[in-house]
Amino acid sequence: VGCDRSKNLVDICGEKHFQAFVCDALSVPIRSGSCDACISIAVIHHFSTAERRLATIRELARLLRPGGTALIYVWAMEQEYKNQKSKYLKEKNGSKNKEKEMNTGTAQSPLNDQGPDNCSQDSAWSNQLLNDFKDESCGAMPVADFRLPVHTNRTSFHSQDLLVPWHLKGHRKKKKESIDTVVVPGGSKELQELSPVFHRYYHVFSEGELEAVCRSLDCVKVQKSYYDQGNWCVILEKL
Amino acid sequence: PRSPQAAEVRVRPVPFNAAFVSRLVPRLRWDALREAAESLGRPSELPPEPSPGYEADEEFLRRLHHVLLEVEVLEGSLQCPDSGRRFPISRGVPNLLLSEDEA
Repeated sequence: VGCDRSKNLVDICGEKHFQAFVCDALSVPIRSGSCDACISIAVIHHFSTAERRLATIRELARLLRPGGTALIYVWAMEQEYKNQKSKYLKEKNGSKNKEKEMNTGTAQSPLNDQGPDNCSQDSAWSNQLLNDFKDESCGAMPVADFRLPVHTNRTSFHSQDLLVPWHLKGHRKKKKESIDTVVVPGGSKELQELSPVFHRYYHVFSEGELEAVCRSLDCVKVQKSYYDQGNWCVILEKL
Repeated sequence: PRSPQAAEVRVRPVPFNAAFVSRLVPRLRWDALREAAESLGRPSELPPEPSPGYEADEEFLRRLHHVLLEVEVLEGSLQCPDSGRRFPISRGVPNLLLSEDEA
């Protein structure tokens, strides 16, 4: 059975006759110890503090029966690893992604850049204020006036905490298709109005970070820890 | 949450997998399941308890399969037995999000 916080996304699962429900990853309505296995793909990197990310993993572990296993995938800060660029970096404008995406980051972000017109928007710094930001150093103290960089899609990450633009293209198109938006006489200005951009928060993980967070929980054991196409991954076993 | 109430139920055939259904049995709160089946207006073809040797009892497994996998609540709700709070089911999808003040 699957779950997500987005009702619209879960509705799509329902349409395809998959078993899915809507819930928050911090509060999953499933009995403790009832799952043989859990997967968390491209979820934990959306939580804005280390505390919340840890809480999500703790919640995941709660669902597992002793001996049960969990697989976690999060987007990596390092999009180039061992001299290999991830698929996310490789796919520039115009190329279609035909393969199924295990690259969780890409699954969440638009495939096609809209061209040079919108690039300036993407690389601008956002004026989002984010409280409770670097909680490793500040504890629960809100950090005033912290700005989150807005990421330029398909480029390397320069910050671990950022906003990634997502361009909504009219109705129910798959994010992966490289489609031209409506051609409007008058050029790119109007194009921007027609396709709203959403900025989605990500905390991209650095090497070893996910593993370290998992190791801080004593109810699970890290069985495996690896890098896969721009993602840091762990396999956990419930003790 | 349990105690489903249904405004709309659908029955949809699903390929039967005995091993899968059999492995579900130890995970189920049997009384809750029977109650749920009853409240959906499904005649309860399930015994009060799974009997020993259920793994080999194909008829039992098929009935369980039917109730678990083939009967779907499309529109309705689930109710939390402790708080009484109702969670909606819409187009087959339960929404189990708590509101800000409930969390």
